[in-house]
Amino acid sequence: MTATSLAAADGGLPPAAAAHADPAAEPFATAPSRAARLLRSPSFMVGAVIVLFWVFCAVFGPLVVPHDPYGDDLLNTLAPPSAAHWFGTDQIGRDIFSRVIVGARPILSVAPLATLVATVAGTTLGLLTGYVGGWLDSLIGRLIEVLLALPLIVVALLVLVALGPSSSTVIGVIGIIFTPLIARTVRSAVLSERSLDYVSAAELRGEGALHIMFVEILPNVLPPILVETTVRLGYAIFTVASLSFLGFGIQPPSADWGLAISENYGMMTGGYWWTVSFAAAATASLVVGVNLVADGVQAVFE
Amino acid sequence: MRRSPKLLDRLRLEASDLENHVVDEYLAGRLDRRGLLREGSRFGLALPLLGGLLGTADPFGASRALAQTGSRDATIRVASPTPAGVVEPVSTATSGGLILLMQTGEFLIFDQPDLVLRPMLALSWKPNEDGTVWTFNLRPNVKFHNGHVLNAEDVVATMDRLANPKNGSNALSALRGVLSVGGTRKVDDLTVEFHLDAPNGNFPYIVSSDNYNAIILPADYAGDWEKTFIGTGPFKLDKYTPKVGVSFVRNPDYWGTKALPARTEFTFFADQQPQILALQGGQVDVVSQISVQGAQGLLNDPDVKIVKVRAATHRQLHIRNDVPKFADKRVRQAIAMSLDRPALVAGLFRGRAEPGNDSPFAPVYPSTDKTVPQRKKDIPAARALMAAAGAANGFEATLTTMRLQEIPDYAVLVQNACREIGIKLNLKIETDAAYYGKAQPGQSDWLDSEMGITDYGHRGVPNVLLGAPLLSGGAWNAAHFKNPAYDALVAQYIATTDLGKQREAAGKIQTLLLDETPVIFAYFYDYLTATAAGVGGLTVTGISQVFLANATVA
Repeated sequence: MTATSLAAADGGLPPAAAAHADPAAEPFATAPSRAARLLRSPSFMVGAVIVLFWVFCAVFGPLVVPHDPYGDDLLNTLAPPSAAHWFGTDQIGRDIFSRVIVGARPILSVAPLATLVATVAGTTLGLLTGYVGGWLDSLIGRLIEVLLALPLIVVALLVLVALGPSSSTVIGVIGIIFTPLIARTVRSAVLSERSLDYVSAAELRGEGALHIMFVEILPNVLPPILVETTVRLGYAIFTVASLSFLGFGIQPPSADWGLAISENYGMMTGGYWWTVSFAAAATASLVVGVNLVADGVQAVFE
Repeated sequence: MRRSPKLLDRLRLEASDLENHVVDEYLAGRLDRRGLLREGSRFGLALPLLGGLLGTADPFGASRALAQTGSRDATIRVASPTPAGVVEPVSTATSGGLILLMQTGEFLIFDQPDLVLRPMLALSWKPNEDGTVWTFNLRPNVKFHNGHVLNAEDVVATMDRLANPKNGSNALSALRGVLSVGGTRKVDDLTVEFHLDAPNGNFPYIVSSDNYNAIILPADYAGDWEKTFIGTGPFKLDKYTPKVGVSFVRNPDYWGTKALPARTEFTFFADQQPQILALQGGQVDVVSQISVQGAQGLLNDPDVKIVKVRAATHRQLHIRNDVPKFADKRVRQAIAMSLDRPALVAGLFRGRAEPGNDSPFAPVYPSTDKTVPQRKKDIPAARALMAAAGAANGFEATLTTMRLQEIPDYAVLVQNACREIGIKLNLKIETDAAYYGKAQPGQSDWLDSEMGITDYGHRGVPNVLLGAPLLSGGAWNAAHFKNPAYDALVAQYIATTDLGKQREAAGKIQTLLLDETPVIFAYFYDYLTATAAGVGGLTVTGISQVFLANATVA
């Protein structure tokens, strides 16, 4: 019997929570009540609406945009916002509104995938170091500290210079640089779990280390992982945009927002504010949306 | 001053056949006033003869440059790109470095922005009849900053240093096949002969400011130029801090009219935007080069003056001739025909450029044959060419280039144009360091990529542009173009001294390149420098040189 099934048999309280239950405190919420609390959370709902809007743009954007987002019009460059071009045109005459809409796709492909890579790798490392401990914990722990001591954006730039910029490289690089952060969080959560009875029970049953880590402990450390993942997603979006701005992220002719800011920021001093402002606002809104969701998740799960 | 027939006749008696040919061309109306100056200066036409023909005592307009308003003895503050690596006259190859060379150093000849040659350290120059030997007379009483007096041995040592492949000389792009070590010979203290590897009608340009490495240094120069910035120029070094900036002060021992500014200060910037903000904020008076794409703020600013030089600066879009999908010249022609050149000029440069016609012969060159028909966008014809080449269904290819000014936008426009004829282009846009690599075949995306866009600077004559990127053995031949007929035509063009015959050879080269289309030259853009409104007297050339000796600040 797994920890989860034990919890179900025990009236929905996970063993960890049950062991530490404070009679004065509100009982740890069940899955349905968590969902209900999330839906009642204003920050979560506002964030979710913003994120869902951009997800809709990422999925259906190319079908609904009024102009070809990649089509140039050299005789209509840097046109200000108008009825024909709601957000104006850029320096080769592309419709900025259409590019902002479809620009959600590259960032919402790369950032979540990078976060997923970091979550999977970080969770694995965190489980290993937290449960196995000993020299493995010391070794990986020191490596993580070394990685965390380096400026993340600099590490990312170095790797991208060495490997060459592409979407898959960006996913890998951000995944790798976020892995230690998630690993450290997961390790802390695992350390508080490993001494609990349900882990001892599993060990007495003769379960293997992998089974204990991934089947017994993992379900009980999911809440902090979920919170950390949503927080990291916000940072990943920001990092993808930063790398694109620096010219080492998503490549032209992508409508990626960071790339659009990079391509046009020189126009700002000329008064062509629309070439940058809408892409910047889109990036900011998505980061804010994800962070609001993260706040809501954090409030409910922690 | 009016033209005097008797004086002219007397002067013509003393002139060589080549000089008299130029005079005949002018008198017959085949050369205009500017053409006479340009051609006359190429053959070192005597100043009195030029003045007599033009009815002026000052044919080069040198004295006009001094007629500036504004404060003399000023400090002129310049924003310029950070030099890449060590600033060294022999090896410097970037705009950040070359703009510093000519602050303290001087050339034998100054190639003015209008391509007219003006004496600098050489007072006069003449070719022999077939253009294989050129004799230069040096200016007397010129002192280097260390007090050493310029003589022929300094010129011989400087040219041998630049022509020696062992020195890593950047000037070899212009000197290879033209002048070898030992080819420069002292005749007397103030006379030097250049014995060329082959006849060359444009040789004075090769040793002029057009060849930015060719500042004359003392014969005993042993390196470490950054310590002294030694030269003969109107400014001398005050203080140099690598990666930060450099300041110069007026040279009181200068051989010519003393510099108007008492001091100049160069601050290095890695990017264009901070330079623009520094100019707008009053921290600098001059931004040495701006691009249309990144400097819209300055182009529209009434407090900023834009100095525009019509130039041969361009981008070369090479197509590998030895890659099967591009081996059929009809495919290359189709790609070239998919581009809308007037729209590129209007959209990318706001009109500050001219359409190219797929050869290095820019409209600015007098030898360009302007009767060769201009290639135009014609998608139906391009599709027909693709079909005839067996590529009606198109194919996929990669266009590699670097992140510089408008180049990424140009790459996107080429991608869109190719899509219209069925070619799916993937873009690979990287740093200039990654793109150039080691600049050797097999170690350079520039030279190895199947399609690429490369930045090329201005030259006063197209010789280098005809050679290195297009000759069969050319060091920069990224298109891997090998065509014996082309090689022969270029040799013929380079050897020709007469402008009419140069134009005839140019026409044949232009026609051949239009047919073969190894490289697409879609536009030639103007060189732009920005100054504060009160700054005047700058002389700017198309190769990132800014001469400040006559600059003033209001």
